[in-house]
Amino acid sequence: MRWQQRLVAVALLAFCSTAFAENSPPAEPDTYRADNYRSPVPETLKGGRVLTTNEAETIWRGGSAAFIDVLPQPERPANLPAETLWHAQSHDTIPGAIRLPNVGHGEIAPETDAYFRNGVAAASRRDSAHPLVFFCRRNCWMSWNAAKRALSYNYSSVYWYPEGTDGWQDAGLPVEKAEKGH
Amino acid sequence: MTVHLRIIAFLWIGLAALLLSRGSSFAQDETTWFEIRSAIIGESVPEDGAERLSLVAPTRAEDAAIVPIELRVRNSEKEAGRVTKITLVIDENPAPVAAVFHLGDGQTTFDMTIRVRIDSYTFVRAIATMDDGRLYMAKAYVKAAGGCSAPAAKDPAEAKANLGEMRFRVFADRGDAQIQVRHPNYSGMQMDQITRLYTPAWFIEKLEVRQGEKTLFSMEGGISISEDPTFRFSYGGTGDPVIVEAEDNEGRAFKRTFPATGS
Repeated sequence: MRWQQRLVAVALLAFCSTAFAENSPPAEPDTYRADNYRSPVPETLKGGRVLTTNEAETIWRGGSAAFIDVLPQPERPANLPAETLWHAQSHDTIPGAIRLPNVGHGEIAPETDAYFRNGVAAASRRDSAHPLVFFCRRNCWMSWNAAKRALSYNYSSVYWYPEGTDGWQDAGLPVEKAEKGH
Repeated sequence: MTVHLRIIAFLWIGLAALLLSRGSSFAQDETTWFEIRSAIIGESVPEDGAERLSLVAPTRAEDAAIVPIELRVRNSEKEAGRVTKITLVIDENPAPVAAVFHLGDGQTTFDMTIRVRIDSYTFVRAIATMDDGRLYMAKAYVKAAGGCSAPAAKDPAEAKANLGEMRFRVFADRGDAQIQVRHPNYSGMQMDQITRLYTPAWFIEKLEVRQGEKTLFSMEGGISISEDPTFRFSYGGTGDPVIVEAEDNEGRAFKRTFPATGS
């Protein structure tokens, strides 16, 4: 009987660990991700540096880098009647972070591209070597895309923090209400 | 053998705990409702819908751009007061008030099914306003996401060609009828695949359904209503023709008259 019990226990444990193991992260693509933005992200970003929560915290405490939150945010349609109630979801972010929503899609309109370039230029005080940390939430390709895009603008100190606000909050680090994007 | 079973039970409990802990990040919470409620119902406190008002929604929607929501009103014959208005709210949609229905006079029971877009996991709630000012509320939690920004099913040229066409079908055996208005009902959050810009919001803002002189219902709609708005509602039918009038946010008006038995 004893070996049967052990066998059952081992089988179930094996089942549990395979059923719940995280899928191995995908390889880094050469192009921007254009769909399924909330799905497992790669472990690398060519030309940029990937940060763990600890590393992100150290950089944040150092205070020299610009943190850029690219979590998308629906824009109120311009022609929606004035009396229509519009409610942007409240969102907590890393204190001091700059909110640049909707810049992490696979392809962006020239208007959005200009908005992103201007936003990053302001955040970096027009210094292409200024450290920039891009994030959104865990398993969010928008931050990977945005960091990759910033590299294409020739910024040289691009950091990507894949754990984003989820990892930050799980580590018990402080957050603040995000300023609404514009 | 009992030890054996106990081990299995123990492992299943562990498994359940693991699943529950993973599910906790999707906790159903009403923070958003408390942020928006005063803009919708002021300081009134709704009573539980109980038998007077209920809402039926799928727990997990197959297609977030067309989630069927059923509202059921049962006016009490014993008690005074009847429902005159139903407000349908999708908490987590950026434009949370999906529709406001005004009921015609003299209806003791009224069912309405419409299809809506759902942007992220959310409570969907209906608030019934009584003629004496009391409110009743019913709600359901729906797991669906991306419905507001999902690309239109029909291409723009086709949508324009059939704009404002209507269908009216009667299901006498079930005591209801269905109206469909052809309209893209663009949410304003759908991205044009070529320009990467948002297609402007374009939707049915008002709809009124009458039979003869009698109003069956009217609606004020918003961007959360799905493409080709479809309404299935309680319908007895008096034999008089049914008139459907709709108007979109660009001021285009559409009107059709149907025989009582449908077209």
